[in-house]
Amino acid sequence: MRSNWALFLRLIIRPLTREPVRTALIVFAVALGVGVVIAINLAGQAAAGSFRSSLESLAGKSDLEITGTGGINERLLGSLVQLPYAFDFSPRIEDFAFLNGKGEALPFLGLDLIGHGIPQQGDTADHFEQLWPKDPIWVGTRLGLKRGERVRLLINDEMHVFTVAGVLKASGEGNAIVADIGLAQQVTRKNGKLDAIDVRIPPDGSIDHWRAVVKQHVPASLLVEPQGSRTQENRKMLAAFRWNLQVLSYIALVVGAFLIYNTISISVVRRRNEIGVVRALGGTRRLVTTGFLLEAMFFAICGSALGVAIGRLLAIGAVALIGSTVQSLYVSSEPAPIQLTISSALAGSGMGIAVAILAALAPAVEAGQVAPVEAMARGREEYVIATYSRAMSIAAAVMLLMAIVFSRLPPINGAPVCAYAAALLFVAAAAVWIPQLVSSFAPVASRISARLAGAEALLAMRGLQASIGRTSVLIAALATAVAMTAAVGIMVGSFRETVQVWMNNQLKADFYLRPAGMSAADRHPTISAEIADRIERLPGVSAVDRFRAYPITYEGMPATLAGDESSRVRDSSSTRFLQGENADRILAELPKGNYAVVTEPFANKHHIRAGGTIRLRLPGGIQAFKVLGIYYDYSTERGFIVLDRRTLLKYLPDPGVSNLAVYLKPGADANRVRREIDSVIGGRAVLVFSNRTLRRGAIAIFDRTFRITYALEAVAMIVAVMGIAGAMLAMTIDRRREFALLRFLGAAQDQVRRIILCEAGLLGLFANGIGLALGTVLSLLLVFVINKQSFGWTIQFHWPVALLLGILTVVYIATVLAGLYPARTAIRMNPIEVIHDE
Amino acid sequence: MALLEVRHVSKVYQTQGAPVLALDDVSLTVDRGDFLALMGKSGCGKSTLLNLCGGMDFPTSGQVVLDGQVTAELDDAGLTRLRREKVGFIFQSFQLLHTLTAVENVEIPLLLARRPNARATALERLRWVEMEFLADRLPHQLSGGQQQRVAIARALVHDPRVLLADEPTGNLDTATGELVLNLLRRIAHELDVAVLMATHGVESASMADRIVQLRDGRMVEAAVSR
Repeated sequence: MRSNWALFLRLIIRPLTREPVRTALIVFAVALGVGVVIAINLAGQAAAGSFRSSLESLAGKSDLEITGTGGINERLLGSLVQLPYAFDFSPRIEDFAFLNGKGEALPFLGLDLIGHGIPQQGDTADHFEQLWPKDPIWVGTRLGLKRGERVRLLINDEMHVFTVAGVLKASGEGNAIVADIGLAQQVTRKNGKLDAIDVRIPPDGSIDHWRAVVKQHVPASLLVEPQGSRTQENRKMLAAFRWNLQVLSYIALVVGAFLIYNTISISVVRRRNEIGVVRALGGTRRLVTTGFLLEAMFFAICGSALGVAIGRLLAIGAVALIGSTVQSLYVSSEPAPIQLTISSALAGSGMGIAVAILAALAPAVEAGQVAPVEAMARGREEYVIATYSRAMSIAAAVMLLMAIVFSRLPPINGAPVCAYAAALLFVAAAAVWIPQLVSSFAPVASRISARLAGAEALLAMRGLQASIGRTSVLIAALATAVAMTAAVGIMVGSFRETVQVWMNNQLKADFYLRPAGMSAADRHPTISAEIADRIERLPGVSAVDRFRAYPITYEGMPATLAGDESSRVRDSSSTRFLQGENADRILAELPKGNYAVVTEPFANKHHIRAGGTIRLRLPGGIQAFKVLGIYYDYSTERGFIVLDRRTLLKYLPDPGVSNLAVYLKPGADANRVRREIDSVIGGRAVLVFSNRTLRRGAIAIFDRTFRITYALEAVAMIVAVMGIAGAMLAMTIDRRREFALLRFLGAAQDQVRRIILCEAGLLGLFANGIGLALGTVLSLLLVFVINKQSFGWTIQFHWPVALLLGILTVVYIATVLAGLYPARTAIRMNPIEVIHDE
Repeated sequence: MALLEVRHVSKVYQTQGAPVLALDDVSLTVDRGDFLALMGKSGCGKSTLLNLCGGMDFPTSGQVVLDGQVTAELDDAGLTRLRREKVGFIFQSFQLLHTLTAVENVEIPLLLARRPNARATALERLRWVEMEFLADRLPHQLSGGQQQRVAIARALVHDPRVLLADEPTGNLDTATGELVLNLLRRIAHELDVAVLMATHGVESASMADRIVQLRDGRMVEAAVSR
């Protein structure tokens, strides 16, 4: 054991310490790969873990939760408490408030404080009752408010003034605000209603038993679910988003795998002679193979250790980016604290180590196969793979065919596992084909480069050709990063273009109004109906479209139920239905009964087709609605079920509107109407957007949503470029004889530098070309398969030319810059010493 | 004025802190068409002297004057220009670039110097060393003697004034070595190029016009061979 350790230190570690820059580059590249995986995992957990905090745990421990679309009649509570069982019922109001009308949406809870009390810092509840001020609220510690302070909170479209009666002692609810239920009902305009009733069941009997008992005593329109169901639903809804993000985070690791493979291959070539000596002196094949695997482990362990720290740091930025996306597309949430647990650190590190060992396996095994005599006789030899190997071509063709087959398979448990496997197979097929591709293009490239850039380019091209085994791996690594970036770029560009076209159709009104405060997919504060009516009567206004939305649960998944004025939508021809569906007929039919239209993501998620029926829990019971059509919508992945407004009001008679579209009469003075709208709004906190401003805002949200994906691609690219710098450094050292000789033959230092930069440039050029081609294939997979299977959106393919040119230019420049340090190393070598040594 | 003058040149290397005297007060002159052999045992300073003559290194003291230019007064760019225009190198282990064909190897100095008609000139030099018919072969497809002839064509391709050959026959069998030495003589006498050859073999040295004997960095004897 001790002797093995000594051998490991002398034969594996010592050579690495002789090239500290290269070693550091590889370790850091692995660290970034591992770091990104850990960061996305931590950030995803933080975003998903936050649903529980404010709404569920503040209300106290309970077992069941009763909820209903549009709220629960509070009289139900009166009948429930009379049941002859030892239940404990806690009514609840849930809403959101904005401190001084600005900033983040704060959970605003109404609880029965008189009946149940509230935990707070300092005084006991009893003591506090004596000090109960006017309009009291209790606030989370993070808000930094003090007892007795007067605060203004925006709830729906109205500002209210409260007094801070105390600070909540519960640690996880830093930003929540709690009021007594009566006050909460009043300020949220939910008089006579409750959003939920929490139920604590008697200690005897199972939760299923008591759930059945409660269900018998509540209307069928209400949901009785175990506590935490909503968290589970939200997590389920977020699963595809998190899953896709986590897969994207693996790209940097895949790129890292190529680099580990390359690094160990270089080591094997360089130490071929040493391998021969060790084998001749009695070392076994297994010892040699294990040695090189341990070298990979060394990179992986050092990289992973650093990666955990990097991951924890990157998670801070990732949480901010993911959090805003979750808010925009899914559900209101405040990111929970990032928790770096031993298991998450071990999972990330384990993945890094596993990837490194797998990547190093082939060269390590090859090292073990080297016969001692052959190794010593051949000495240091360029690592050449079987470039024109027929087997490689067949393998690539098989992988390509498999990729095509996999891309046509359905998702597994809603996750596009097969499609991602197809993507991996496409990348692998390209990587296997790269040596052949480069070799095929090399003669032409040599001639062109020699003609265009002289001897330096010719030597660079020949240098790449001579070490095709190594360079093809580098090209594969960079091409993978370029391909994924280009693919995501094309997908996002296509999505953006599709959304813009959709907005051009959808947004036809001149002004849009919504309550102030940040919007979110599950938050639908309302504007008083009276405002809509008054605006409709303004002389310059031809029509208003009142849109009302409610967050609901449909088949265990969060969704949105909405009511819209079909006639207005029909007049504006703003809604595009899936191909083959007649928009005019559908919208004419919609107000005539229990009919609905649904969005494409909703239809895909719940496998609904036009003509089918959906059942909704509404006051009065479970109601069936015939789906007349499915329309394109890109505003939220939760999905909409839209009824005609009159139909919605029949079941949910609250006339408040979530947002309002205002159409002007032809020739009306928009500025004047805007002033009139402002005067109608008066002191209400309602935001008015012009058509243009709304579109701009929507695109800004869209761009913000995809920042995280770009960040992940950027990291993969950095890993690839760092790997290239490290590998080029190794190649420079290995080819020092060539550079020294050129100095003897009259090459200036600058010319040697140019040769290396040319090589780097050629690497970048090949990687860009292959990456773009591969990226286009992967983008088709992303747009038409992975997106469709994960989110259900139809995206029109579009080339974001400027973005792609930008990506390719940045990659090219970064690759050339990666050659600077190796070039510096090359020109600092003393040619006399090198030639003498050789 | 002589083409190459070595004036009281000494060269000291610092090896792990301890100074090593590689050359000690060496002086010699070489004219056009001279074929001069530097003889001595391994480590006597032959290669060091060749490197100083070729502008690859500077003397610690003394001067090397090549075609009227004092090498120590030139910067790196000046030395590079000097080598491109006036110096050709031949090595014991041929030092061909294994990724390039024979003709491409010969072309390299011209391409580096941005000279026109590189291919035609390279082919002409290969013809001169009777290697034109193997112009498209890669180095590993050539024998040792053929590789050395390609290396000689490469050293001559830019019409240098001085050809510096470091043990040019060290890796060749006797017959092939003789062919190469005859070639060097022809270069000196037909092309009017000064040839300095480092060797430790008496037979090789005897092919030269003059022999300079080095021992422990000092010039101990200069004799006319033929």
